[in-house]
Amino acid sequence: MSGGPLVGLRVLELADEKGQFCGKLLADLGADVVKIEPPGGEPCRLVGPFLDDIPHPDRSLSFWYYNTSKRGITLNLETENGRALFRRLAADADVIVETFPPGYRESLGLDYESLRAENPGLVLCSLTPFGQTGPWRDYASSDLLHMAAGGEMASCGYDGSDLPIAPGGGNAWHMGCHYAYIGIMAALVYRSVSGQGQYIDTSIHEACALTTESAIANYIYRGETLRRQTGRHHAPAPTSRTQFRAKDGVYVTALISGGLNPRNVKALADLMDVTGMAGDLKDPKYQDPSVIADSASHIIDGLLASFIASLPAEEVYHAGQQRGFTWGAVRAPEDLLDDQHLHDRAFWKTVGHPELGRSFVYPGEAAIYNGTPWEISRRAPLVGEHNAEIFCEELTLSRGDLSALAASRVV
Amino acid sequence: MPQPKALKNIRVVDFSWVRAGPWATRWLGAFGAEIVKIEWPESERGRLPSSTTPQGVPVNLNTSGNFNDTNLNKKSLSLNVRSAKGLEIVKRLIGMSDVVIENFSSRVLQNWGLGYEELRKIKPDIVYVSMSGYGHTGRNHTYTTFGPVAQAVAGLTYQSGLPGEAPAGWGWSYMDDTGGMYGAMCVLTGLYHRNKTGQGQHIDLSQMVASVPLNGPTLLDFTVNGRGTKRPGFPPGNRAHWPGTPLVSNARGPTVAPHNAYRTHPGGYNDWCTIVCHTDEEFQRLTQVMGRAVPAKFSTMAGRLEHQDELDAWIEAWTSTLGKYEVTELCQAAGVRALPVQSAEDRVENDPQLRHRTMYQPLEHPVLGVHKVQNAPFVLSETPAVNTRPSPLIGQHTKEIVEDLLGYSHDDLRAGFEDGTFWPTKRPRFPYQEAMLS
Repeated sequence: MSGGPLVGLRVLELADEKGQFCGKLLADLGADVVKIEPPGGEPCRLVGPFLDDIPHPDRSLSFWYYNTSKRGITLNLETENGRALFRRLAADADVIVETFPPGYRESLGLDYESLRAENPGLVLCSLTPFGQTGPWRDYASSDLLHMAAGGEMASCGYDGSDLPIAPGGGNAWHMGCHYAYIGIMAALVYRSVSGQGQYIDTSIHEACALTTESAIANYIYRGETLRRQTGRHHAPAPTSRTQFRAKDGVYVTALISGGLNPRNVKALADLMDVTGMAGDLKDPKYQDPSVIADSASHIIDGLLASFIASLPAEEVYHAGQQRGFTWGAVRAPEDLLDDQHLHDRAFWKTVGHPELGRSFVYPGEAAIYNGTPWEISRRAPLVGEHNAEIFCEELTLSRGDLSALAASRVV
Repeated sequence: MPQPKALKNIRVVDFSWVRAGPWATRWLGAFGAEIVKIEWPESERGRLPSSTTPQGVPVNLNTSGNFNDTNLNKKSLSLNVRSAKGLEIVKRLIGMSDVVIENFSSRVLQNWGLGYEELRKIKPDIVYVSMSGYGHTGRNHTYTTFGPVAQAVAGLTYQSGLPGEAPAGWGWSYMDDTGGMYGAMCVLTGLYHRNKTGQGQHIDLSQMVASVPLNGPTLLDFTVNGRGTKRPGFPPGNRAHWPGTPLVSNARGPTVAPHNAYRTHPGGYNDWCTIVCHTDEEFQRLTQVMGRAVPAKFSTMAGRLEHQDELDAWIEAWTSTLGKYEVTELCQAAGVRALPVQSAEDRVENDPQLRHRTMYQPLEHPVLGVHKVQNAPFVLSETPAVNTRPSPLIGQHTKEIVEDLLGYSHDDLRAGFEDGTFWPTKRPRFPYQEAMLS
């Protein structure tokens, strides 16, 4: 096996927090992603957390994570020399991903048509908050704002509270980047047959608006507005709770697939009986669906809640799954480091940071590509780390040329 | 002249059901792949149970609104794959296809005799994407998931909510939507690689595992700095930082205030507007929009973070006098980050941007009639993703696929309906099935 499925693909990434994950998705699957940053580095290098809590452009853990397997150069596109160098790189690139405000790239004379004139196979993907057109196209945004307008917040919160909640972790950017990746790969599959490149206008707002499961269908087909519920699905009317506190204070998500029916109630009684917590649930009367329906609160809020409260969350999770219940412990992210299933799948990766003389553990791949392995080929680039490699070795500038460009703030 | 399709001549054998798998193949279909959805009415999950059938329409296999939106751009072959004859038919189909995709538990396809080793004997360069809960390897591979369980186990649920309270979590199967994205990503990546090299492969996607990389910076804070998330002030609600707790990054972008959702007029369930100021300059612009004198303690970022409760109350006293779209427009006109909390109704009816971008466009379904469906979030200049057909009725294309594509005779089709290969013998047929037998 040699390299990922995208080996041989050259990508130029001109992206901030909105698009850097798209570059990582491509780079970890083998693409040669060259990240082009303004001189001094991309501003999202100043987003925390930082190594040892010391802010510095080369110490942002957020930047580290989202920029694995890439090389990095600096280039000032607002200079004529900078644009000329960019055009030389673009002439040999397969893909460009950029997150500039709409119109900015064109104002620099770097419109798609002129880039394609030199490179007919070029796939250029713009990934912006609202796309290239429309009344909101120049609006400012953030992860929180996208979770609001996209509909995520309208679906997340607590029973008995109006407060909408935005889940953390930067998922609006993830949603945009997943769709951008799909658009780019569809264009690349087409190019592998036709030889033709194309321009892609991707909207983060639309990506978020597409990511609320049935909420849109509930409205379109039934006119329903969904209510927020604690730790479970939004719904037009209240549903039974599915999140229970275990003995160790950790919560458990315990849905009953298919709802309460005689078969599920019997399986539940058998599971809880192992620790003597079945209560009266083994009574044959619970094989009558009408009795079950009348006893739903007793079964869920009484017996099931007490059973879960009697054991640590991880025990409930595994005991339930081993008996066919689709249950899970609500883990803090750091608990995943102890997950044996992830270790079996060799999920965690050790990534060297030679300039620090240290290595760190990083999360790995969503999917195992059995023929073409996913890999973190290098840690995120330091500011301008590959300037000499790209400008001198690849574009054959002399070291003197490069020094002069640095002195004039082109790189 | 119609525009070309990115996935012209690509055929996908789609065993997927419920949400994540069908959401993946919906997009492949929009790019022009021929999606053949293999279904069996006795073990169907996705069409039923339906909570999105319009009021007054009978609930049956063909009337789920959410199924319709999730399964646009596909054909349906009703086939009992668990019968010897059904297996032979599906193998013939696989031999003429490029992709096999499924989201069953980890050993289902293998137990049918359709594991990857068997698939590649039928079609050496097949791209096989399995979308199981925990993947095909690892000690918990038999475990099952729904979106909410994958989200819980993988650490996503924990990062949503107010500090000191139970997790609010995600109010839907985020990892069915996102799992679908990864399914489509795996198929397209596998196809690109196949077109370049001639090699197919098995791509083993796991819904639970795919959730974990979405916690990247939070995980690095632990593996690098040793800081976990079981700490005061985490998760910080809608804020970037919870006042009165140590000032650390909570992995929601820059650590700034204001960063919250604020009540707007008239105070209904979804009358909220989010406002975020990344810099002092942005905050000054906000206060100019508000037209209020700024208390000195809010003049610096440190002061705003420290006095966030008072700051948020101060801002909300203003926002609650205006509608959420008014707040948005006033702020954005001044270069201040603000957007409304939008319900589904807001997105479909009130969002001027989504309207301009034609996000929701009507499409006719043979039973449900004309309804809006969700369009793609990207515009490809040469090969756009287009919703070309409604979701299939169950088994709607059985005759077309069996006779026209696979080359069986009309007598074979009738025999297959008689012996339970194409439809359970004791189950009433829909009128369109009777029609295909005449």
